[in-house]
Amino acid sequence: MDLVKYRNLFLEESSDHLAEMSRALLVLEKDPTNGEAIDEVFRMAHSIKGMAGSLGYDAVTELAHKLEDRMDRIRAEGRVEPGEQGTPLLFKGLEGLERMVAQVRETGEAPPPDLPLVALLDARAAPPVQGDGTRGAPEPQPKKVPTP
Amino acid sequence: MKRVLVADDASFMRQMIRDIIEPEGYEVVGEASDGVEVIDKFLELRPDLVMMDIVMPKRSGIDAVKGIKQEDPGAVVVMCSALGQETLVMEAIQAGAKDFIVKPFKPDAVVSTLSKVLEKGD
Repeated sequence: MDLVKYRNLFLEESSDHLAEMSRALLVLEKDPTNGEAIDEVFRMAHSIKGMAGSLGYDAVTELAHKLEDRMDRIRAEGRVEPGEQGTPLLFKGLEGLERMVAQVRETGEAPPPDLPLVALLDARAAPPVQGDGTRGAPEPQPKKVPTP
Repeated sequence: MKRVLVADDASFMRQMIRDIIEPEGYEVVGEASDGVEVIDKFLELRPDLVMMDIVMPKRSGIDAVKGIKQEDPGAVVVMCSALGQETLVMEAIQAGAKDFIVKPFKPDAVVSTLSKVLEKGD
């Protein structure tokens, strides 16, 4: 595989995809039920995941995968939830991808993972959306029993 | 030489498929970047096989398989998917896709899948 050729293609296409994603997130900020914008963010994350996976950029693949999963769930629910877990979190995901793509551009190497951001975006960790559009309370954690 | 139509919204992926299959004796006769264009190109080019991403703009890969099979029930379509898309892959197979390959592509697996589905189709 001609790595330089594919790295250049990745940089070019992922930058376009991230710009598209940013435009779609701005739409969702104003209209959280906009199905076209939800689909767009999902597809862009999917596409970046596929390209990064082919080049062994595991951190980009993982982050794009979490964003894609989250968008899949949003698509099923029909709306981006209000509050910090909604578009602000999606923008954080976008910024994380932008940072990683910039690192590939500057160093030519695979960027390091951003585990806290991956954990934040993990759709499976979020409880389902309730009737008012917010998510339910997180599962109660078992209390720690003090040891004598 | 078997004629292949490649559909993916990322030119990166279209190029990668081309680089994998052309040295193996397949001819990429056309490329499409969305689910509408792939049906138009299929009708225009009548390839022996279509390789198509499952997630595409305008019409999804699953919709596009249905559209192609409606035009030509004998069409051979192979889906390109990613890990974690098993449900979509099953839907695509039910819609008429012959097989699927998983990204990131392993060149040997891509070539053996193409060879297998084209044998079946003959």
